[in-house]
Amino acid sequence: MIDFTFTEEQEMFRKAAREFAETQVAPHVDEMEKTGEVSDEVVKALGEAEMMAITIPEEYGGLGLGYTERMIAVEEISRVSVATAMMLQVFALGIEPIAKFGSEELKKKYLPGLAKGERLSTTAVTEATGGSDPTGIRSTYKKEGDNFILNGRKCFITNSHISDTITVLAKDEENPKAYCAFVLDKDMEGWKATHKEHKVGMRGCNTGELAFENCRIPATQVLGEEGKGLRVTMAAIGDVGRGGMVGVALGLQTACLEESIKFANERILYGKPIAALQTIQNKLADMKIDLEAGRLLGYRAAAMQDKGQRSSNEFAVAKYYTTEACQRAAKMAVDIHGGYGCMEEYAVSRYLRDSYVVGPSAGTSDIMKVIIGRWVLS
Amino acid sequence: MLNIVVCVKAVPDPKEACNIKIDPNTKTLMRCEVPLVINPLDKNAMEAALQLKAQFDAHISVLSMGPPEAGNIVKECLALGADRGFLLSDPAFGGADAYATAFTLAKGIEKIGSFDVIFCGMASSDGSTEWVGPEIAVFLNIPVVTMVKEIVEFDKEWWKVKASLENGYRLMQVKLPAAFTVTRDLNTPRTLSFSGIIKARKKEITRWGLKELAVPAEAVGLKGSPTVVSNLSATESKRQVEMISGTREEKVEQLVQKLTDAGVL
Amino acid sequence: MKNKQAPVWVIAEQVDCRILSVSFQLMGQACKLADALETTVESVIFGDHIEEQAQQLIAAGADKVYMGISPQLELYQPEIYTEIIVKLAQERQPAIMLIGSTSMGRELAPLIAARLQTGLTAHCIDLVLDADNVLEAKIPAYGGLLSIICPQKRPQMATVAQGVFPSPELDENRTGEIIALDILCDILRRLQTLEVVREASDGISLESAPIVVAGGAGAGDPEGWDKIADLASALNAALGCTRPAVDEGWADLETMIGQSGKMICPELYIGVGLSGEQQHMVGIADARIMIAINSDAKSPVFDQVDYGIVDDCREFVPELIKKIKEYQEKQGTC
Repeated sequence: MIDFTFTEEQEMFRKAAREFAETQVAPHVDEMEKTGEVSDEVVKALGEAEMMAITIPEEYGGLGLGYTERMIAVEEISRVSVATAMMLQVFALGIEPIAKFGSEELKKKYLPGLAKGERLSTTAVTEATGGSDPTGIRSTYKKEGDNFILNGRKCFITNSHISDTITVLAKDEENPKAYCAFVLDKDMEGWKATHKEHKVGMRGCNTGELAFENCRIPATQVLGEEGKGLRVTMAAIGDVGRGGMVGVALGLQTACLEESIKFANERILYGKPIAALQTIQNKLADMKIDLEAGRLLGYRAAAMQDKGQRSSNEFAVAKYYTTEACQRAAKMAVDIHGGYGCMEEYAVSRYLRDSYVVGPSAGTSDIMKVIIGRWVLS
Repeated sequence: MLNIVVCVKAVPDPKEACNIKIDPNTKTLMRCEVPLVINPLDKNAMEAALQLKAQFDAHISVLSMGPPEAGNIVKECLALGADRGFLLSDPAFGGADAYATAFTLAKGIEKIGSFDVIFCGMASSDGSTEWVGPEIAVFLNIPVVTMVKEIVEFDKEWWKVKASLENGYRLMQVKLPAAFTVTRDLNTPRTLSFSGIIKARKKEITRWGLKELAVPAEAVGLKGSPTVVSNLSATESKRQVEMISGTREEKVEQLVQKLTDAGVL
Repeated sequence: MKNKQAPVWVIAEQVDCRILSVSFQLMGQACKLADALETTVESVIFGDHIEEQAQQLIAAGADKVYMGISPQLELYQPEIYTEIIVKLAQERQPAIMLIGSTSMGRELAPLIAARLQTGLTAHCIDLVLDADNVLEAKIPAYGGLLSIICPQKRPQMATVAQGVFPSPELDENRTGEIIALDILCDILRRLQTLEVVREASDGISLESAPIVVAGGAGAGDPEGWDKIADLASALNAALGCTRPAVDEGWADLETMIGQSGKMICPELYIGVGLSGEQQHMVGIADARIMIAINSDAKSPVFDQVDYGIVDDCREFVPELIKKIKEYQEKQGTC
């Protein structure tokens, strides 16, 4: 029979992550909202709390924990700050290709620093010509002796301006069907972060553009097989990227529900708290149903991933469900707050803006449906 | 090697504990699902031990008397950095007042072995008598300082500590082995870390009951408690509230009016 | 003819040669208990020059006062005080022993109780005798009242905070016995008080303030707390708090009102952002007018006050202060 409970240890991880989020991240939320900039203190705190080390194997300085523990951490942090959870989840997105497809040398070179938060990472796939469709990218690479020369631009890349260890996907200049994933670091010349986006939500998480101009990359930096780079990035995005978004969405859903309950108990209309009104109870019930369902879908997929099973389809389902649910939850939370929901001082107005950005990250809902449709028909 | 024992108590989460009430009809406590957490001041006691361990060669044993669920609290202390955990749990220990609790804990400490320092939180968030720490010290025949807010000097034999007073402190000189009950002024407790939780996998929790402590049943629990609750009653409120409502501006106006009428303004 | 056996004891405390009011208050209650038990009241006091203080204890109702008098005992020495009281108690076999709930009292009481292998009750808000003449200590808990007794062991011990019992009238003409105790100089010196440092207390004392503003968890953060402190200043009130505020570090333990803190009886009490938990509310012995501001309409605090306002104190309090200041300017008061 199925056991739907977390282990004692997982509950302790959740407690640790929650304590961390409430004491180390929460104090910086207002500042991040105001400036839209990443908080250096939050990044430092994440590193010290070993949040980037969760899925890195112990032999490379990581904690050697699983994707369930990672989802727990992202969920708890998102409940306090969606932006921070997004930043953290994309760090893992940048770590995954190296950990799964990197040579021993690459793993030894990068993983320890990544585990400590001394190196910060991301994965750069999306371009103006293709995000949902990665084959539409136009960045190219050309082999030149022991190096590859990379040219192109990436956009909507989370952690673009704070990362120094980046997995990049590019097409073979001569063969459009061949792709390569490389890991770039700050020691290589010819690349830089250019335009910074100003997002309406997830403020405190950096999104921006990267430009590569005759960027010289040693051939030893290739991840996986030369020519088979698509596999590398799709694996990362399919499991880790989607899984991360599930964590982000669940945390946001929880925050929406908690704020709504609090407000509904405090706001008096017609002589009693609005929590006594059925229409409010309906919305709270909807949020609760979505949260229960989302958690089951998400943690089921993570459990499969931890067992080593293929889980990208299950993650597509969970990603679709939870990211749609958190947008509904945020809207309902704002509705429950009435006029107050439009005011900056009320957290729910921020949740609504954050929820917009959750949707298209790591694949839009429409793309999720394409993937799920394919799965059903296969 | 400095041998430290930290006594911790599992208490209903203080943030939710106010929901536990006496049923005025049955005169018993109404059932309420409040999760158990580490007594807040015991976290300060743990932190004191952990800070010493960071500086010296020290071994921390954490001890708790409680129901089986209290084992989670002991586990958490191991995850924070304690070396070994002990849970005194037995139906016979139930219903203990401060005296019987202190007696049982003292027996547990004797069984753990030799120690140099005992740390306890000054009081628990439930009960909150402040008696257990000092009474443990008496049963172990060691000196105790309560309400410690600062450890000023320490060496192998003698410590100097500041104990809180109304509007001040007293500076105490104490010879080890000794017990200290601590206040929240002493330190800021650290939070759980992921690697601490992983390290705790290898650490042991030993469970002892009445048999293992080898004490008579009359000496512990309800039977061993000199004090007992003879009656529970619900209190009736004597005031009838008038709620002031309206927009914020209106409420402020009305309140100022009430204060003026009362002769305050 | 009073039974000189099994007296009622009060362990009195003096600071800078002044007997604390809680000791007098306990003396008053001890007299009531002793009368009902048909026995006498005895008191123990320590210090260096305390003859006058011993006399005051007689005036407050003690039939006998034991003085632990020595330069060594000018400062509270836990182990010496304990040893002396325990030896004396084993001799005199008091039926009841009352100690003021001061920081000294709360350390001494359990040391004595454990040595005498007897029961000790904390946070008493009343002490009466039950049908069997056993001391019944009433303590607030779980929204109601618990009665605690120590049926077998003696003495029956209890600590009580200042302000629970009224201060008795001192009768200067009252006579009694004053006995100076032999101070054993060879007591184990594992523990010694080297010095006592008291900082001057600033601000209005909570216990005597006519207006008290108390803040709780609803303050939310230090900024929110500052707003509540500003309200207290605007009203010239003493600022008190509940336990969550101490836990968060916004206020000192000394300003905590309640079961384990201070007892107050102001004219006006305003509770801001607190839930009306019994542990706190029991510290308000009585107040002419009680007002509460809390964001939760269902908060139990609203069952215990005269006027209630449902609002987020962080938003409401600044508005209130503004209006108060406006009013004060108009009146010409400040």
